[in-house]
Amino acid sequence: MAAEKKHFVCVVCPVGCEIDVVHDGGKIISMEGNKCEKSEEFVLQELIEPMRILTTTIRIDGSRWPVIPVRTDKAVPKRLFPLMMRRLRRAKLQAPVNMLDVVARDVLHTGANIIATRTVRRE
Amino acid sequence: MMEVDVAVIGSGPAGLTAAIHAHKGGARKVLLLEREEELGGILRQCIHNGFGLEQFKQDYTGPEYAERLIRELEKTGVQCFLNTLVTDLSSDRVIAALSPEHGALEIKAKSIVLAMGCRERTRPSIGIPGTRPAGIFTAGVAQRFVNIDGYLPGKKIVILGSGDIGLIMARRLTLEGARVIGVYEIMTYPGGLKRNVVQCLNDFDIPLHLSHTVTEIRGKERVEGVVVSKVDSNLRPMPGTEQLIQCDTLLLSVGLIPENELSKKAGIELGAATKGPITTEIMETSVAGIFTCGNVSTVFDLVDYVAQTGAAAGTAAALYASGSLSTNRHPVDVIAGENVRLLFPQRYSFQDDLVLFIRAAEPVEKPVIIEVAPPGSKINRLYARPNEMLRVKVPREKLAEVKQPITVSIREK
Repeated sequence: MAAEKKHFVCVVCPVGCEIDVVHDGGKIISMEGNKCEKSEEFVLQELIEPMRILTTTIRIDGSRWPVIPVRTDKAVPKRLFPLMMRRLRRAKLQAPVNMLDVVARDVLHTGANIIATRTVRRE
Repeated sequence: MMEVDVAVIGSGPAGLTAAIHAHKGGARKVLLLEREEELGGILRQCIHNGFGLEQFKQDYTGPEYAERLIRELEKTGVQCFLNTLVTDLSSDRVIAALSPEHGALEIKAKSIVLAMGCRERTRPSIGIPGTRPAGIFTAGVAQRFVNIDGYLPGKKIVILGSGDIGLIMARRLTLEGARVIGVYEIMTYPGGLKRNVVQCLNDFDIPLHLSHTVTEIRGKERVEGVVVSKVDSNLRPMPGTEQLIQCDTLLLSVGLIPENELSKKAGIELGAATKGPITTEIMETSVAGIFTCGNVSTVFDLVDYVAQTGAAAGTAAALYASGSLSTNRHPVDVIAGENVRLLFPQRYSFQDDLVLFIRAAEPVEKPVIIEVAPPGSKINRLYARPNEMLRVKVPREKLAEVKQPITVSIREK
């Protein structure tokens, strides 16, 4: 792949360095604007596959509230968010659920589980 | 009349932390009052991650952060009254409250911690012309609808203001299938943290329009569209730049105001910049024995800062209740100097290190020196941005001899 320029804002820490990168797809050729080395790993991952934690809610029966907050237990490819949301929209849990309980395993073969982020009693 | 050592009003991150620390500080009878049916405050609806990075070195969601504090609180035996609305507070520390379970309560406390949090600014507070249809929500109300009640407030959404909650909701509503057309910000810089602009807008290709505002709301029963305009350097809409955007929902993320109805009733002095109680470094208000923490004091950027002030307030309230707080704590003023818009705390009473939270008036995107004088401490930072609070600490030893007001300034290095 030919060299390409790309702009990033690093989110590793609150400084938020504005970084200009020249890359060839999988390798950084040059980098400008970062105040520390931590940006390098971040930018490289962003070039290969941006990864994020997904946080959302799932419907639940037998609870005081109709939905329960959940998240992935590790970062997953950002591009899978829409598909993951569609999958989770169909899901329905049953109270009680404890915080950190796994409510869906290995979603979309990412190796990530969906875990509850609060405890919900049975009402 | 019920009698307690320390009463804490509000059970968000500030109140929970204050109650835990009041107990740790030796107060025997601590009572926590919460008007909702659960503990946790606004954390319950903040289901996104990014909480507690500093305090716990963990990337928690709001509910996880709350549950961790609630579990810690449960071990202390602190008494909690839920569904309990505090209706009055007097300067001699008598609380009036109402609850279905306990009826009309009168509580005499040796010391009190205010932790009522803040409230969102609404359409009347910014005065947008136009009709009054359904479909106009503050960002926090929309957040509650989606994350707790399971409703989607609209499908085609415009967000006015780029405060953190607005940015978080832009992402949340997009994930839930709504179309967020754009975020419009009257200032030349975003209101929220940079990392939220990146992770909530850029990640989802949601445009941020700086120097823009909504100048008209249209629609009869339901919002049908909004008119947005560019603003000039005096923040006045520029004629000829109007643009009609069709949408069914307008979210407002236009600032937060500390909720100080009770503080006013107790005659507590409020600050013009913070809109919260004038406070010393141990979080004491102008009324002896009443302490304050979290967003009722000033609106903080991070929950870690909220919890930090909660810990200080709880500790000091326990000392006050047991009579072991020094009576020699006549404060000097802490004053905002060059390029400082807001400062917290505003007084120093020689009891602890001075931890200052500072908001710059104008952005400086290069290294700055924060000067605290006297004693003449100079602290370096990489930048100063109005939307990101600076926090600096001046040790107690350095301040022991200070007699005159302390001025805090931000200067380019």
